[in-house]
Amino acid sequence: MESVLEIHGLSKTFPGQKALDAVDFDLRPGEVHALIGQNGSGKSTLIKVLAGYHQPDPGATATVAGEPFTLGSAASAFAAGLRFVHQDLGLVPALGALDNLALGRGYSKGATGTISWREEAERGRRTLRQLGYDFNLKTPVSRLSASERTGIAIARALEDWSDTVKVLVLDEPTASLPAAEAERLFEVVRNVRDSGVAVIYVSHRFAEVLDLSDRITVLRDGVRVATTAASELDEGGLIELTIGRALKALEAAHEIPHQTRAGDPVLAVRGLSGRVVDGLDIDVHAGEIVGVAGVTGSGREEIADLVFGAAPRGGEVIVHGEPVPAERPDACVRREMALVPSERLSKAALRDMTLRENVTIGRIAPFYNLIGLSKRAERAAADEWLDKLDVVPRDSEARLITLSGGNQQKVMMARALRLEPRVLVLDEPTQGVDVGAKASIHEIVEEAAQGGAGVLVMSTESEELIGLCDRIVVLINGKALREFRPSELTADELTELTMREDLSVAGG
Amino acid sequence: MSSEQETTSPPAASGTPALAGSGGNGAVSPPGGRPDGSRTGGRLSAAVTNFSLVFIWIALIVLFGLLEPDTFLTMDTLRTVLADQAITAIMALALILPIAANQFDLSIAGAMGLAIVLVGEFMVKAELAPALTVILVLAAGVVVGLVNAFVVVGLKVNSFIATLGTGSILLAMQQWISGGEVITSGISEAFKNLGRTTIFTIPTPFFYMLAIAAVLWYVLDYRQVGRYLYATGSNADAARLAGVRVNRLASIALVVSATVATIAGIIFMMRIGSTSLDAGTPYLLPAFAAAFLGATQFKEGNVNVPGTLVAVYVLATGVKGVQLMGAPFWVDDLFNGVALIVAVALAVRSGRQRSMV
Repeated sequence: MESVLEIHGLSKTFPGQKALDAVDFDLRPGEVHALIGQNGSGKSTLIKVLAGYHQPDPGATATVAGEPFTLGSAASAFAAGLRFVHQDLGLVPALGALDNLALGRGYSKGATGTISWREEAERGRRTLRQLGYDFNLKTPVSRLSASERTGIAIARALEDWSDTVKVLVLDEPTASLPAAEAERLFEVVRNVRDSGVAVIYVSHRFAEVLDLSDRITVLRDGVRVATTAASELDEGGLIELTIGRALKALEAAHEIPHQTRAGDPVLAVRGLSGRVVDGLDIDVHAGEIVGVAGVTGSGREEIADLVFGAAPRGGEVIVHGEPVPAERPDACVRREMALVPSERLSKAALRDMTLRENVTIGRIAPFYNLIGLSKRAERAAADEWLDKLDVVPRDSEARLITLSGGNQQKVMMARALRLEPRVLVLDEPTQGVDVGAKASIHEIVEEAAQGGAGVLVMSTESEELIGLCDRIVVLINGKALREFRPSELTADELTELTMREDLSVAGG
Repeated sequence: MSSEQETTSPPAASGTPALAGSGGNGAVSPPGGRPDGSRTGGRLSAAVTNFSLVFIWIALIVLFGLLEPDTFLTMDTLRTVLADQAITAIMALALILPIAANQFDLSIAGAMGLAIVLVGEFMVKAELAPALTVILVLAAGVVVGLVNAFVVVGLKVNSFIATLGTGSILLAMQQWISGGEVITSGISEAFKNLGRTTIFTIPTPFFYMLAIAAVLWYVLDYRQVGRYLYATGSNADAARLAGVRVNRLASIALVVSATVATIAGIIFMMRIGSTSLDAGTPYLLPAFAAAFLGATQFKEGNVNVPGTLVAVYVLATGVKGVQLMGAPFWVDDLFNGVALIVAVALAVRSGRQRSMV
């Protein structure tokens, strides 16, 4: 059968790194083709080259339905009938499905240019029905469920279902969907496939990939390691392909029971629930560093916000025996908690303010003298922390925006550590930080723990968790299924565990 | 990517030391206060932009001094400009706290107008003592601010819309309370004298304005709440996660703006001595123009007290000069409108539109 999309010898080199190395890929009509790989395996790069966001290295060839196709051009991707739905759906929350569908392509108009609402409504309803949705097209998108929103984004990508649309690329569509919502989305994906559009499906959730897709391509370190029919694989086999070695018999023997430490925890999380996180219990004792590992979509990315009250939560967060009110980050800070959020630009950086102001914002009162805030004392305190974390430039009056990402992150660490918190919550603390800075950040975190702080670290980097933590909780589908001591695991084994729902997989 | 590649450490400041001695800004820049401007400004161009309003001011004075030497460079002109602009300056100062926290307060015109009407009602119709009148009117101003805070923080209405609405309500209240009548006599002479006597030949409102400016400047630069306001305006989510109670800060800013606008109304009554309806509205646009123009000065894009004061007087000097040259009365509105747009456009160009929209 002729392929819808065929790629040969696709390479992409970034400075100092080969993201894709002579990758072949083929997509057949009417199939769901999953693209699997760890972070950094090259799957995002592949998608971005297809979408025209990255230019491939010279030498790659591609055809769409037998016709030559230029990789690395958004216009030719669109003309060839490739459509993309990214994780950020790009919908306008205040508008309903009708308007969101019409925004890109324009409204159907009558002879005089008046919008023909009846035609619009029919068109929208028809499109969404084909996907299996039936909801009010005027309800603002913000009030729809997550899977309905994804449905609208898919409908917008596919609209008209004409011959022009040949390939739909879904980039981690279920990353922030609870299980029930994800089920609905799978129905939609099957409907799309049955209508004759081939689907490229990127996901970290192996169980759903096995369930949903017809074929699976696995990338590892920029190389295609396999393209296999999904029916020939089980979860263990898929993990083996992804991590590139045989599964070990990881038995529950590695697991440690809850409450291994004597004494009361400084931080006790009880029945924590959010969008994906579901009834999570975690204890952190003074001087302990507890890590949370989990793939994107496991709920890991929610935990920091939930614990710190930045997002609405179910369950309780107890610090030193007393519950902290929900949705009150200021109460958390007063109870000697500190947070380093993962999304620095949107949730942490005061970009147009000075390093001094960024470091001291958590607690300014110590700098009061008789007449008011003493900038001298404040600067001295800020300088001390910039020194400690080796921030470049070491100028407390420089604006944060003039620093590199890694140095900005160090300033965010300084802000939290300066509070000498009893509970330190770190979300991807070394994301985008160079190796040297990473080591110094880890050192400082360990120092804080030795000083008696309880530290909770969420990270996608297994090496980081293994090197830093006393205990690691593995989060799968919003639940903490297992707890391990890092001394008993390698980083690879931890990565593997974040993907495995079922430990009894016959693999090794 | 290594961090060194991305780091842009500002080159050594070749032009900055000279700025410390550059005349004119000493009068308005707080003594020993903000070294930030010169320390972080770094490049000469940035430093010039950062203080350019002061140079424009000097240029305007020299220009009109040469063009109209007999009328412009007189103590009379100086006195009129200083005194006439005192209320505009107070209204611009009222806006500083909300703008620092990235909030709008369009209702300051209504708050000022209400204060004017209430002074007349309390002092003349209810025959209350001037001191009691002032206390009651100030209390009313605080209530106006609390209502704004409730609508913005409690009902989560965007501050631009919220204060557009409350401003209209305040206008209606002025008509309703006054019954559409203006009070032209019966205001206590002692009360009026508070706004008419002069110190060193300069009318007292100028000094009231300086006092308010000093308090706001101190709060913004030397108190925790000022830092929190700027942090909230810079990135509300980040400030919140750092422990700042951003809702409370926004409320404080709106209560202060309504109260300061109320003070502007009281001082207006001291000077004019009779009520008028909707007297606040003419001050709204000049106040915004000055606050935003001032934000381009001294603090690199953040609204601030010295910048606002300089902006008020630069605009006033320009208007006064062209008026003396025989320009028509509407040049005032023209100047302020152009200044507002230029100021915000400058801010957007330097990538600092965050606090501007």
